[in-house]
Amino acid sequence: MAAMGKRTLKRSSLAEHWFPALGTVAAIFGYIFLVLPSLIVIPMSFGAGSELVFPPRSYSLELYRQYFQESTWMAVTGQSVKVGLATMAASLVLGFSAAYGISRTDFRGKGLLTVFLLSPMFMPHIAMALAMYLYLSRLGLVGTTYGLVAAHTLVTVPFVIVTAFAGLRYVDRNLELAAATMGAGRLRIIWKVVLPLIVPSIVVASLFAFLLSFDEVVISYFISSVQSETLPVKMYSSIHWEISPVLAAISSLLTVLSFGACVAMSLLQRNDQ
Amino acid sequence: MTETMVWLDAVEKSYGAVRALAPTSIEIAKGEFLTLLGPSGSGKTTILNLISGSVAATSGKIWIGGRDVTHLPSNRRELGMVFQNYALMPHMSVFENIAFPLRVRKYPEAEIRKKVNEVLEVIRLEGYENRKPKELSGGQQQRIAIARCLVYNPDLILMDEPLGALDKKLRDQLQLEIRRIHRTLGVTLLYVTHDQSEALVLSDRICLMNSGKVEQIGTPDELYFRPRTIFAADFLGESNILDVSVASNGEQATLTTRSGFQIEGVRTSLSAPVAKVMIRPESLMVAENEKTEPNTFKGLVEDVTLTGGVVDIHVRLGDAETINVRRLTTRDFRMTERGRPITLRVKPSDVVVFE
Amino acid sequence: MIAFIVPLAVFFAAFFVLPLALVVLASLFDPVLTGSNYQEVFTSALYLRVLRSTLEISGLSTIVTLLIAYPVAYHLYKQPPRQRTLLMTLVLLPFWTSILVKSFAFTVLLGQDGIINNIARALFGPDTALKLLFNRPGVIVGMAHYLLPFMIFAILTSLLAQNRDLRRAAEVMGAGRLKIFRSITLPLSMPGIIAGCLICLVLSLGMFVTPALLGGPKDMMLANLVEMHVRQTLDWGLAAALAVLLVIMTGALSAIISHVRGGGLGSHG
Repeated sequence: MAAMGKRTLKRSSLAEHWFPALGTVAAIFGYIFLVLPSLIVIPMSFGAGSELVFPPRSYSLELYRQYFQESTWMAVTGQSVKVGLATMAASLVLGFSAAYGISRTDFRGKGLLTVFLLSPMFMPHIAMALAMYLYLSRLGLVGTTYGLVAAHTLVTVPFVIVTAFAGLRYVDRNLELAAATMGAGRLRIIWKVVLPLIVPSIVVASLFAFLLSFDEVVISYFISSVQSETLPVKMYSSIHWEISPVLAAISSLLTVLSFGACVAMSLLQRNDQ
Repeated sequence: MTETMVWLDAVEKSYGAVRALAPTSIEIAKGEFLTLLGPSGSGKTTILNLISGSVAATSGKIWIGGRDVTHLPSNRRELGMVFQNYALMPHMSVFENIAFPLRVRKYPEAEIRKKVNEVLEVIRLEGYENRKPKELSGGQQQRIAIARCLVYNPDLILMDEPLGALDKKLRDQLQLEIRRIHRTLGVTLLYVTHDQSEALVLSDRICLMNSGKVEQIGTPDELYFRPRTIFAADFLGESNILDVSVASNGEQATLTTRSGFQIEGVRTSLSAPVAKVMIRPESLMVAENEKTEPNTFKGLVEDVTLTGGVVDIHVRLGDAETINVRRLTTRDFRMTERGRPITLRVKPSDVVVFE
Repeated sequence: MIAFIVPLAVFFAAFFVLPLALVVLASLFDPVLTGSNYQEVFTSALYLRVLRSTLEISGLSTIVTLLIAYPVAYHLYKQPPRQRTLLMTLVLLPFWTSILVKSFAFTVLLGQDGIINNIARALFGPDTALKLLFNRPGVIVGMAHYLLPFMIFAILTSLLAQNRDLRRAAEVMGAGRLKIFRSITLPLSMPGIIAGCLICLVLSLGMFVTPALLGGPKDMMLANLVEMHVRQTLDWGLAAALAVLLVIMTGALSAIISHVRGGGLGSHG
């Protein structure tokens, strides 16, 4: 052992040289793959109305006009907004109060209950779609807006709960205890102490709930009728049976909506922390 | 006869098989400043939580202001509470924070303003009404938290290690502030801390807790000069614990330490042949001469440490015993050198015998 | 306090437990108690074929997703926090985009007149016609695009959790970047890779929209089969049995995921 001289570091091999560059190239490919589909629809939506080509041969707002002027498209959009807002309200109320109750108590089976309430997140929508379909048929609620709101609330509430947990974690329990010793009852504590401090997570949860409901397609496909159809359901039928170029305009608008939500949420995350 | 403001009547708390607090009875007089002192796990925080209502007693009753509050929720017990992390509402101004309990009690707006301004004067933070908590220093925030308690005159104010998050200088300042407020307003205070010097400075009485039981309850003087157990002697101040053999005549005794030194004229009714005794380091006097009189220890200096205003001298008495001596610092403290012989004297009245 | 949980619990009982119970009952009572639906599922050639293509598509999509996701996650990991947040928007945008928008975009991208084919024609001659739509490649591409953000998050989280000092120590000892990646970064990111793969499997097994819109008849997955039985053959019992099977599969995988993650499903306050 002593006979061996000290070994100096080898010069870096070829692989060492190329590794960082290859990695970056692969990453760039990944980014393009991520973003391309969403972006491609935007220039296409400004094309002429009859067919879909990229790049568009001529530019116009024809497709947007089609979207806004066709009553069926507008009706389903309105329905989606209606269902989205109702779902948002329902899941906010149910989700935040459940999250508050769970985070402020300790009881046997708390963990199990939490897993149970979060389980719709991990369930395939097709299973919930079938379940809702069978159930709502019995109740005669297939094709109603109420049914849609119930189904959407089920899907969105777990996400609201997760967001609520995160927000409630940052509310110091001592604040609530201090308020209680000063004589405040539970409702006053929630209204005056807890709620003002979780406004960012309420906003994030609202966006979450609304968007999830707005984009939900599988369950809605099963339980909506022609009268109560939502936008995603009509889009699905359209893409499935005959591709209508107006979809490009709708897709662009939806992409802008998603982008807006994205930005809003990352702004809120930063303020929250 | 002073009125009792708080009465814990055989209150016990267990978590399943674990007993956090043995059945305990404590009375706090109106206007008294009682400190619950002890290491972590001693039960002091448990008592606080039981009184504040955030935890329910396993058995026993709790009375505050003449009412049985054992089954009342926190918000009906007429208490005030100050927390280590201040617990000020971050989204409310100083004014709104202090006004909160008054709004709960539906005071008219004009009176709220008057009371808030009054209490801001007491804590000497007039003009800070519109600031937000995060704009204030830790010491200021804690004073606001105290003001928030004072403003609605609760029967009892609880303080849960309120100075723990502050640095030493601030802590000393606020200790004086709390003492001043207590003297001026005469509020009943239950203070929890693990810091024994804090307890000595602030309290009318100290309740020393150990492993879920009350070790000793008494004035700071009583606990410092007449601790009843080794734990009590050790927890408050520094102590020298010595094993001695006892030769007693029923009223007085001559104690012989392991190294053979004798202390005569110690008043005790102890009849056992052996005992443990405690001598505070500051009670030992360094003798000028080496005369062997009774109540004299002779030994060798092992170490001399300057700790600020006092000097600690570590002395080896024989091969079995060491003893610590504490004197006020003088510039020439190093004259007591390591390895030099030293003679110490003690007054028999400064020897505490554990019976 | 428990009162706060009651409304949601009641809602779940009414709209989650009961409907699912109906599905289980429908699979078993057709109309009397029978195991015929499950028998049919496990013996008939059609169902076995669909089950097989479901597993194949899921597995393949997960692998493809992993291969694309890892470099992206690694790249994000190496970025300073500010740039990372910026680049994250590129990952979050498809996450928040409706799956229908994505499917529509792919029908345009992958079709005969789509960009890919146009580029291919420009490169390889006017007769090239890549069949990328309404077949297996189409589905895989669509699925991978859907799963990508999930895989990236899983891997990125595990990368960011790594002790930065390990890297520095290795550098000081003379290791180059490839060596560090191979012997430190990659092995330590295994938990993230496994978690990501499991999540992608759970998500892809139950997929409906992507195979329906981007796949061909041979790419039918379990979810599409369920739909067929509900809408076309009106064999609800059979559909229910298939749904139960699907839930059991995804449920088992989810259980494995939470076990791997140490049982924590988000913070419980």
